[in-house]
Amino acid sequence: MKISDRLRRVSDGILEASIVMATETNKGILIRLGFSPSTIEQASESDMLIAIRAKDEASLVLATAKVDNLLESPAQLTTGDQEKASDIDAALRTMPGTNLVMLSIPGEHVKDISHKLIERGIHQLIFSDHVPVEDELEIKEMAAAKGVLILGPGAGTSIINGKGIGFSNAISTGPVGVVAAAGTGLQEVTSLLDQSGIGVKHGLGVGGNDPKDKIGGIMMLECMKILEKDDDIKVIAIVSKPPSPAVEQKIIDYAVSSGAKKYVLALIGGGSVGGSRKQVSNMIIRVNSLASSVLAVAKVLGDEHLHRALSRTYMQPEALVNLLQKEWGRLQSSQRFIRALYTGGTFTYEAQVILGEIMKDEPICSNAPIQRIKQLQDSFKSQEHSVIDLGEEEFTKGRPHPMIDPTIRKFRILEEAKDPEVGVLLLDFVLGYGANPDPVGAALDEIKQAKETAERNGRYMSIVAHVCGTKNDIQGYDQSIAKLGSAGCIVMPTNALAAVASAVVISRGKIDLTHPYSKYLELPHDWIEA
Amino acid sequence: MGEKSIDAAAMLSSELKVVNVGLEIFYHALKLQNIKVVDVNWNPPPKLEKDTQDLLDKML
Repeated sequence: MKISDRLRRVSDGILEASIVMATETNKGILIRLGFSPSTIEQASESDMLIAIRAKDEASLVLATAKVDNLLESPAQLTTGDQEKASDIDAALRTMPGTNLVMLSIPGEHVKDISHKLIERGIHQLIFSDHVPVEDELEIKEMAAAKGVLILGPGAGTSIINGKGIGFSNAISTGPVGVVAAAGTGLQEVTSLLDQSGIGVKHGLGVGGNDPKDKIGGIMMLECMKILEKDDDIKVIAIVSKPPSPAVEQKIIDYAVSSGAKKYVLALIGGGSVGGSRKQVSNMIIRVNSLASSVLAVAKVLGDEHLHRALSRTYMQPEALVNLLQKEWGRLQSSQRFIRALYTGGTFTYEAQVILGEIMKDEPICSNAPIQRIKQLQDSFKSQEHSVIDLGEEEFTKGRPHPMIDPTIRKFRILEEAKDPEVGVLLLDFVLGYGANPDPVGAALDEIKQAKETAERNGRYMSIVAHVCGTKNDIQGYDQSIAKLGSAGCIVMPTNALAAVASAVVISRGKIDLTHPYSKYLELPHDWIEA
Repeated sequence: MGEKSIDAAAMLSSELKVVNVGLEIFYHALKLQNIKVVDVNWNPPPKLEKDTQDLLDKML
């Protein structure tokens, strides 16, 4: 993976570079990326495949020279600006007082390392996926008994004292604490809070399995207790896909009976305990989308904050329709489908929730379907309306996550644009630490080409985008939005609005916005009246 | 739930000192924020035959 990354950076003329073991999955990905099947199929499992696509001969020569060079002297693969410890013990000796270990290693190796660290009382953020759920339970039970905090497994994002750990944005410090079982959900909520002038002190990601029955919300509840004890935190937001009913009840019970702070419970799509929305008690405001959770937090903190949050994150339905009228007016009648190509898992989930409800009678497919959404037969080939999570295993085995390396989405954008039935492309761009240095810039050529392809064929391609980030992110939030705007994209301030906007365009403005607005883009007067 | 309440207050309120095991991009992301971090040159343990592993587990 590291060599592939180096190769891609050899020259702007390198369009794709992959050095992978010739497993069936990797072979399949390369063929779908356009490499010759007859050559690829000759490789057996123990072979290494080197696949390079370049704009010109000179770039190809440069890349192949670099491959030889890197394979002959692998020592170059360390970047040279850091001295690596030989193992974890050595690292802990080098830095006495280590209070957090970040683990991003294959899931099968996590348990042994985690146990040893728990014995030493060291808190951990575990990014690794595919940690067996039995291992996760054992780790979390042991950690809770020893007073050790475990963020993850499968937690790519956390914020501690305003500092980002893993994939995270440059967030100002403020009076909010967040507990999340939704990685890009945590990034969206904290970024929108930052944009609204409200900072975040701690944002703790517990991993997607934590609120399920098997784990029982062990760390989610521990994190709530931790944030409760922090005097700087005035409001706590819980951000998650719907937990199991038992865990949801535990969260509510704790907030109502033991919590002294105000809570915003953002269960994307709604929970199952005590109705799906509005106030459960005077301690908790419930909302159903990431965007609404930001307005709810702002409301708790005061009208001044709410006013700013509304101006940054909200758009009235009339304004939305006015903005989009031109878009749907340019579509041909054959263009009937939305293709959402997501890099963020929580964004994929939220878009399915929203589109699934707005377009109830329409066929919607996904490679990571939620209830009532159809399983896509082949993740590499969209059909009907498709909402694709490009961070799923079939796309990331042997490759970096698309938030780091967007190559796989670039090809997919071009492929979707060739389909005469596609009218809207919905795209997310996640900025921040750990992400690609310029995710928008990396896709800009393909966005322009997609529009040109449609135009050449007498169609128009509407592209709706959302940028998750803050003004202090290294990639440049305003610049990212400006680039998308100049390429003819409609840029929405939140993922929820981007999903609604896509539905408005593809339906030619014919959908009733009352329901999506009252459920996913609700205004605070709903909560006050509850 | 744990018998002991998690006391992460010390970590959350004091200077972060992180050991990074795995993806190098996370090391660089922490460095960019001036967080103290040590990167580990981690490699998966070599795979042993099951019989050998069982024997070693018993011995160690």
